Amino acid sequence: MIENIVYMNGYGVFVWSSFAITALSCVIVYFKTLKTLRKYEKEFAKEIEDLSTEKRKTLLESSKVASQVVSSYNKTI
Amino acid sequence: MLKFFTNSNIFFWIEKLTNFINSIFFVLLLVAISFAIIFSPPDYLQGDSVRIMYVHVPAAWIGLASFTLIALISILNFIFKIKNLMLVSKSIAPIGLMFTCLAIVTGSLWGQPTWGTFWAWDARITSMLVLAIFYLLFIFVHKFISGEEKANKISNMIAIIGFINIPIIKYSVEWWNTLHQPASVKILGSSTIHSSMLVPLLLMFFVLILYCALIFLMKYKTEIIRIKKKNLKRL
Repeated sequence: MIENIVYMNGYGVFVWSSFAITALSCVIVYFKTLKTLRKYEKEFAKEIEDLSTEKRKTLLESSKVASQVVSSYNKTI
Repeated sequence: MLKFFTNSNIFFWIEKLTNFINSIFFVLLLVAISFAIIFSPPDYLQGDSVRIMYVHVPAAWIGLASFTLIALISILNFIFKIKNLMLVSKSIAPIGLMFTCLAIVTGSLWGQPTWGTFWAWDARITSMLVLAIFYLLFIFVHKFISGEEKANKISNMIAIIGFINIPIIKYSVEWWNTLHQPASVKILGSSTIHSSMLVPLLLMFFVLILYCALIFLMKYKTEIIRIKKKNLKRL
């Protein structure tokens, strides 16, 4: 049975290559997208940290996005 | 109602949806691949090479659907000038490009055992290649043209012009003599595919759609942060 799944009556090379190329592309794009997201989150959180205390407080109170990014960034470090 | 579509709310829901997709994705992937590789029967003519269909067809559907969505968004954007819509199409484009390329590559791998060649300048294959070029143009405009408004305008035009290619791809197998077979799965009308192959095909499509949603949400989130980061400099 395993031999059948691997060789697929001579079509195994084509079938497995198709699945492998699809899987590899999906994995590469996933990690590249995640890396870009993390980079932006990190840069954004750092820029917020660099603000003066008053500005930072106002921003975190007014922007849900900013407060979420900062809290998730603080969790990762 | 419109309050729901603020970036803050969208950001909150992106987080929730991403977690939900992550939690069910691998189980569904395992089920779909088991059906595609093990449980579905070989074709009476093409044998086991038909299993390429389970990645090729969903990839092609996603490539076509993504560009259709981008074109519709571009038309809406021309009329209503909603900034968030542009973020949506910018986030969809790379996904559409990847799946269009996958459809071409897996189609080529399917072509060799079925037609005896990896490539032919057939109407369906060539029009899919044209679609990939339109995706590339759309992405490059945003990457290399400075000035967001100008880039948006040009990319909207590219999407609308490229939209002409969508019906050409769809009906290429009927309008011209092509190597490519006509559609077996039809939304309107009865499909000519057996349920033992249709179920794995739809399962694989669903899993890949979930993957697209995951990538889209991450890209959209990145775009929101990029805008917020820009606004931060104005403080």
